Amino acid sequence: MTGEDSEHGMTRRQLMRHTAWFGAAVALTVTGSEVISHVAGDGSPAAAAAVAAGPGALRFVQISDSHLGFTGPANLDVTATFGAAINQVNALGYEPDFVMHSGDITHLTLASEFGQAKEMMADIATPRVFTVPGEHDTINDGGKLYRKFFGAGTLGNGWFSFDIKGVHIISLVNTTSVDALGVLGADQLDFVRRDVAGLSAETPIVVFSHIPLYAMYPKWGWGTSDAVTLLGILRRFGSVTALNGHVHQVFAKTEGNVTFYSAAPTCYPLPQPGQAPAPLPVTVPAGELSSALGIRTVSFQAGSTNLALTDERLT
Amino acid sequence: MRSAVLIGMRVLTAVATAVTGYVHADLYLNNGYRVIHVVGPGFLLLSSGAFAVAALLLIGGSPVLRLGAAAVAAGALGGFVMSRTVGVFGFTETGLQPAPQALISLISELGALALLLSWHVILLRSRPASAFTWHRWLLAPARRS
Repeated sequence: MTGEDSEHGMTRRQLMRHTAWFGAAVALTVTGSEVISHVAGDGSPAAAAAVAAGPGALRFVQISDSHLGFTGPANLDVTATFGAAINQVNALGYEPDFVMHSGDITHLTLASEFGQAKEMMADIATPRVFTVPGEHDTINDGGKLYRKFFGAGTLGNGWFSFDIKGVHIISLVNTTSVDALGVLGADQLDFVRRDVAGLSAETPIVVFSHIPLYAMYPKWGWGTSDAVTLLGILRRFGSVTALNGHVHQVFAKTEGNVTFYSAAPTCYPLPQPGQAPAPLPVTVPAGELSSALGIRTVSFQAGSTNLALTDERLT
Repeated sequence: MRSAVLIGMRVLTAVATAVTGYVHADLYLNNGYRVIHVVGPGFLLLSSGAFAVAALLLIGGSPVLRLGAAAVAAGALGGFVMSRTVGVFGFTETGLQPAPQALISLISELGALALLLSWHVILLRSRPASAFTWHRWLLAPARRS
């Protein structure tokens, strides 16, 4: 050790000691990470999806907010971006068990827009396409035209449920009597109460709606006024996943046993909550629109407790 | 007496850091956090880093480890605050959800930071005035000229 060493920095021995501790910490961190990943069975959503790709796995896709009929600088061709989303689903490399469009299929609730959407979605390589109405699909007539095109086999204003590969799917309508917030209504809540009555608490539940079932930003109507009652009905279940559209951005949140995920749109982005005076379409620089749009793939392996979600940008 | 206090603080810091690691590993493994974009891998890194630092703290109290423990606690606290305010890559939570993990983690992280601060103060006070420390080096620029 020299006097200069100790006055202006650490000695070589100190440096070696610090380096050794740092190296040990990094090595242990990497080892610990490997161990935890091994215990988990996978380490990333992509890996989770791969695991779920095994026999018996449930795989589905969520697309949202295509707003066919929209014209404006935020997206000069919503038909093309919706078509790109469909092509992306068809290029996944596997056939999803079903595809769910979580609302705002159309922009102006016109028959021509519904017809175009139905025709385009017929090209999706999947056995079943389901839909949830958004407020843009019900704004003129309380959802009559929507149900004419997409309401076959549904109850009430278009709600339904089914079981697939060990998961119970519930699709709800909270846009037909929108006031400041989305509303489910007493009839629909009764339907859910009866629907889940016979299910064991271990059954994974997936709930689709257009408007979020949590208070994401009530000032902009991004919430559902009677969602608390719904969540109370679902409280006994160990795993509840709520998937919605409406807010045109990827967002996730947990509340107790429920994890909420908002999906990216296929049309145009909206501002983040409170980052603009109103939730109006955001025009992004040319060439960057596709990065604000996307699709979501979801998988579930029997025996798992949670679903694996992957949000993919539009390509 | 002083060395016994320092050993006690080192062990308690290791325990607090390990608790932080355990809570985040539990959320990652058993509560669905691993599928959340960016947050999931973040929990994995935080928990494995916390376990590594906690294990090494039982062997020694190097400044590198104290810095690591502080980074684990501050990182977890920062994530907690952000998830309840501006969000973490679009992920938000409210209050002390998930319970009781959020509260346990909060207590262990604040405890670890308090222990580390006390530990640091004790070491500074017991160090000879002539000894080199980064604090003195930074606070006395005139001596370097």
